[in-house]
Amino acid sequence: MVKKSRISPIFKRAVSHIFTKPATTKYPFVKPILPEDARCKTVYEIKSCNVIDIGTGLKDGPTVDVRSIVGSNCRVCVRDCPAAAIEIVEVEGKKRPQIRFDKCIFCHQCVESCPRGAITSSIFYELATTDKCGLIQKPNPNTKETKS
Amino acid sequence: MIDFTLIFRILVFPGFTFILLLTLFCDWIERKIEARIQNRVGPMVAGPAGILQPLADFIKLLTKEDITPRDAKKTIFKFAPLVAFTIMVFAFCFLPIDGTSVFSTSGFSGDLIVILAFATVANFLLFLAGWASCNPYGTIGSARVLTQFLGYDIPLFLIALTPAFIAGSVQIASIASLQAGTFLPFIVLAPWAFVLFVITMQAELEKDPFDVPHSESELVGGLETEFTGAKLAFLHLTRDVQVVFGSALVVELFLGGPYGPVFFGPSWIWYTLWFVLKVIAVVLISEYITTVVARFRIDQVLSGNWRILLPAALLSLMLTVALVTWVYPLVM
Amino acid sequence: MSNNKTDILNVVATKFGTKVQIQLGHLSTGTIIANNGLHRDVLKTMIDADEKTGITAITGLDLGANLGVYYHIRATNAFVTIKAEVPKENPKIQTIVDIHPGSLFHELEVADLLGVIFEGNPTSGHFVLSENWPEGIYPLRKDVKANQVKLVPTPASEKIKLPENERLVKIIIGPQHPALLEPEKFAVTVDGEIVTKVEPRIGYVHRGIEKATESRTYLQDVYLVERICGICNSIHACAFVEAVEKVGKIEIPPRAKYLRVIALELNRLHSHLLTLGHAGLEIGYETLFQYFWRDREPIMDLIELTSGNRVYSSLMTVGGVRRDIKESDIPTIKSVLEDLRGKLPFYRQIYENEPTLKLRMKNVGVLKREDALKLSVVGPVARGSGVDIDVRKDEPYEAYGEIPFKEIVYTEGDTWARMNVRMDEVEESINIIKYAIDHMPTGPFRIDVARSVPAGEAVNRVEAPRGELFYYVRSNGTDIPDRVKVRTPTFANIPSFLKTAIGESIADVPANFVSLDPCFSCTDR
Repeated sequence: MVKKSRISPIFKRAVSHIFTKPATTKYPFVKPILPEDARCKTVYEIKSCNVIDIGTGLKDGPTVDVRSIVGSNCRVCVRDCPAAAIEIVEVEGKKRPQIRFDKCIFCHQCVESCPRGAITSSIFYELATTDKCGLIQKPNPNTKETKS
Repeated sequence: MIDFTLIFRILVFPGFTFILLLTLFCDWIERKIEARIQNRVGPMVAGPAGILQPLADFIKLLTKEDITPRDAKKTIFKFAPLVAFTIMVFAFCFLPIDGTSVFSTSGFSGDLIVILAFATVANFLLFLAGWASCNPYGTIGSARVLTQFLGYDIPLFLIALTPAFIAGSVQIASIASLQAGTFLPFIVLAPWAFVLFVITMQAELEKDPFDVPHSESELVGGLETEFTGAKLAFLHLTRDVQVVFGSALVVELFLGGPYGPVFFGPSWIWYTLWFVLKVIAVVLISEYITTVVARFRIDQVLSGNWRILLPAALLSLMLTVALVTWVYPLVM
Repeated sequence: MSNNKTDILNVVATKFGTKVQIQLGHLSTGTIIANNGLHRDVLKTMIDADEKTGITAITGLDLGANLGVYYHIRATNAFVTIKAEVPKENPKIQTIVDIHPGSLFHELEVADLLGVIFEGNPTSGHFVLSENWPEGIYPLRKDVKANQVKLVPTPASEKIKLPENERLVKIIIGPQHPALLEPEKFAVTVDGEIVTKVEPRIGYVHRGIEKATESRTYLQDVYLVERICGICNSIHACAFVEAVEKVGKIEIPPRAKYLRVIALELNRLHSHLLTLGHAGLEIGYETLFQYFWRDREPIMDLIELTSGNRVYSSLMTVGGVRRDIKESDIPTIKSVLEDLRGKLPFYRQIYENEPTLKLRMKNVGVLKREDALKLSVVGPVARGSGVDIDVRKDEPYEAYGEIPFKEIVYTEGDTWARMNVRMDEVEESINIIKYAIDHMPTGPFRIDVARSVPAGEAVNRVEAPRGELFYYVRSNGTDIPDRVKVRTPTFANIPSFLKTAIGESIADVPANFVSLDPCFSCTDR
């Protein structure tokens, strides 16, 4: 079957594109909407919304209150993390996990492995900072611990 | 006796400053149109709608470190970009922009050939600049520049002579004003010459599809590989001035130059306005062609020149001469 | 031509009798144990019996007192492994490069990483390791700890061997070059403008991932293996967990199989759109590049919707997948896919009618069918030259056996044909995803498995966007694997570039090269 040689459609399409809306999202003036279970920063979360952030200066940044007591002795998150980003530190006489977000690969294996559900996901992704120490999420010593 | 009017005309309007501003403005238009065709936004942040972006790029390059390689031929390497830029601006000064050229004269007979020669010399200096950098990529890139523009100069001259034949003179001002006098721009009288001239201009300006000397995917940077800082800023500026110069030449030869209807007030404002609008129109056409096609290989560029464009230029010249001698006197 | 899977093993058994041992059903179709140089004759017999025989990989491993050299061969309907062993003190084995030129890279890699000497192989020098790696220390042997190796100073850069003929010029493309996405070095010898020889040097991105898998648990290795390549990450993870499931004889629920198919096909979609755009960039067609990548963005959003991240989907785990598709997301997925399908005719017309594109892509980098078979190329490179191999049809895995789709084959063998293969595969992927969503079985999507895997070994092949991806996993009963061998499709396809570039202009090298869809992170691991 002989095809008739036609003009490539790009000539017309190029002209019509001048008058259509561009496909660019004008970040940072317009922020994209992520699905709720996107794998961004992990947090220890409690129901009350009193927040203390650790370096970004934003009010609705990540919270750092530890929820459960027993999450510290099983060490499953430390064992399963592929990037060795979680280590146990001593806080007020108790051992708690500390997550380093400069090593984390955001796979959320810790979220799955923790038998108490002490680590959950959030959709906070603007983690860029000029100070590496700001990326270490230390367990906060000033919080009351609640029974799970 | 110092002629302040002449100095003003050379330095500010319609001389150096005006040409510079027009160049930066046309650069912005090119980038915005290319971006819109590609369904994205283009420059947006520097100035309102990004109009100061080319100026910002120029200033940024001026602040970068200026390195001269140890093995480069230093004098040519340092001065070639600046001299090429100067020659291009000087050639621009002969075009009638606001009714008369920068020197307040209407040129001299033969100035069409002279400014085309200036453009060739400027291109040659760019080739020398790349050659003097002693880098294999620079050498190959500048050799390709030389092959391409020398090859395409021949059809360029031939096709540029077509409006000269129709107008009966080799002086740009008379070519332009004849079109204004009869209200019949040469694009109507010789449309084939217009098309061929635009294509040859694409090759001279090294834009797609004749983009080979700049092809990054093969040659890293082409002739610009070793240039940094202020020298690179002037290289880019030379290239942008070449684009505007080519468009201005098309406007003068085929679209009636700066002449157009004058509604009220002094005529030079209207002439400048028409000139700028026509240059922008030609820049748009040129950028559209750049965006919608891919890049040829070097051997396809060369065979296209010698096998297709040169015979077409000769044919177009012969056709125009025949029409002018026998057909148009009967019609007009 | 064998129609039955075990035909080729019967041919070998008839010819060699008791000189070789055959284990039917072990490691896919079967395993042949052939020592003392018999592997050459066995391979020759197989090639004579079946024209589509090709070598998939050569695995080298440390078995204690011996070094094992396993040849993995694929035939029309079968996948056979030939096992040979050499002692560590005298690790010499005969080469097969003269019988089958496509095995050159595999032998060089085993020689470099394990110290096996292939007699008769003319090439020498480091192939994957860098120039400042000390001689005599072979990283994949068990007694070498990678972080305790002392690097030697790089040898005073040997002068580049100039070609003998004065007219020839040697141009070095890479390691840093705008035509290549990732660093590799190709020394191209040109005569005027025509290429006469290409010498590759790979290994610039070698990170030692195969050695790194031997110090992490299986669960951590899933994430490590996923990061071998940024573009085909799901496929690496899927191949690895399938191999582990074969070792541990774990059967995953049917819903997990369909979910894995959806993730794999989404990955294939975004990879093909990436290549099609990148090809436009190489030939100077920026507009096409921007259009293709604009159409790729909704697919990345789909991947984020189904898995939580735009690039590293991390959906696979031993025993199933980590999350399910929500019912509310299904209309979004379908509408995005239909939008993409509606845009394809525009691109097809450009490929048919755009004169400058055809000038750059037609008759460039032609690979004839018999060369494609001799060099064992895989993927769209093979399917663009008339060789119809596709692991999804030859040895169906996951749910591909139940989903109908077409295998795309073009016969021209040039760059244009390979790009068209990828464009048609985009449409087929859309069909596969819609079929999988409509026919998904209900049930659990994951089962619990123990962390440690019983001792054994398994091979697994999947169809990555670039071709056939091969994994070999060997376990010793703990929760840390003994040996993981990866053979990526670009590793098998680069030798074809060494052949197709010869005789063509050097200006065609970028367009030719990008049609292979090279991914050097995969190649070097």
